[in-house]
Amino acid sequence: MSIYAVNKLCRDALHDLEFRAALKSDPARALEMRSLSSQEREALLAGDVARLYEMGASGFLLSYLTRWDLFGLTVPIYSERIRAAHDPR
Amino acid sequence: MAKIVAAFGVPHNPNFPALVAKQGSDCEVARLYAEVASHIESVRPDVLIVFDNDHFNTFFLNNFPIFSVGIADKISGPNDQTVMPRYDVLVHADLATHIRTSGINKGFDLALAQDFDVDHSIMVPLHFLTPKMNIPIVPIFINGLVPPLPSSKRCYALGRMVREAVESWAAKADVAVLASGSFSLEIGGPKIKPGERSGVPDVEWAKHVQARLEQGQIHELIEEATASRMLRAGNIGGELLNWIAMLGTIDARKPRFIQPQLDHGHAYGVWRWDGI
Repeated sequence: MSIYAVNKLCRDALHDLEFRAALKSDPARALEMRSLSSQEREALLAGDVARLYEMGASGFLLSYLTRWDLFGLTVPIYSERIRAAHDPR
Repeated sequence: MAKIVAAFGVPHNPNFPALVAKQGSDCEVARLYAEVASHIESVRPDVLIVFDNDHFNTFFLNNFPIFSVGIADKISGPNDQTVMPRYDVLVHADLATHIRTSGINKGFDLALAQDFDVDHSIMVPLHFLTPKMNIPIVPIFINGLVPPLPSSKRCYALGRMVREAVESWAAKADVAVLASGSFSLEIGGPKIKPGERSGVPDVEWAKHVQARLEQGQIHELIEEATASRMLRAGNIGGELLNWIAMLGTIDARKPRFIQPQLDHGHAYGVWRWDGI
């Protein structure tokens, strides 16, 4: 159920400018305050959006991260990674 | 007594206001919205009911309703940093309350939203269609984004209920209905285009939906538009539910005007029956 925290983090990155700046300057530290599982934390810091998607995170919300290249996620990198995710549809 | 006088369907891509600001009023997007806007001007509705799916901005996953009616005096938006002017728009709280009460009495468990703002999915259409913001709206939110989605049949029934509610409303008013959304679109999911953050994964489906709408084959469309079919057309494919609810408010009929933008996976449509 805690994948909710990943989705919430993406939303907060859009709406909370201070949090966004913190994610940008020191991502590991910014994540310390969040109730994430170790797998979620690891995947976020690695920019592993395919894994987060497979864990149930929303692709729509994850793609917010590319707006500020958070976790190294430029649009081309994000696109390449998410397209490789397992897609049950 | 009130009656429904026309219905419309348009997309709400958040980049369209900036695109039109840059390309001018001759570009295709501007012309298509202007065509729909000209019909709204001509039917002069007193109220505009808007079927919309919020994108995690009015609601979030902590509390995400399947159906919700917005009841307020005034709302503003966009609240999601879309590059466009910010507007206030009046909500017709009396009709909104009447629709919600009628719906609940008929077995539609409609959530209540008050003191809310809205994202590009309402404000982009209004920006192009009623930029003076002089027609009060009734926003009805449908979950088209977070599986499990409501069924097409249920959304159509929701539209029928809204029509009955309008027709039982004591005010003498002409009411129009607007559906906001795409038929095939993926944002941020595995079906996006290489190198981009969105894509139109199922142009064939968008073409098919457009043909069904053009022929007035609404019941065939409802049978075909299962949740899994819509989601195969993109993680935003459930926005078709807004159109299906809109179609529930009118008799099955062919549109007066419909024009697709197939490379975008959406269309612009007008349903009128006033003979003008």
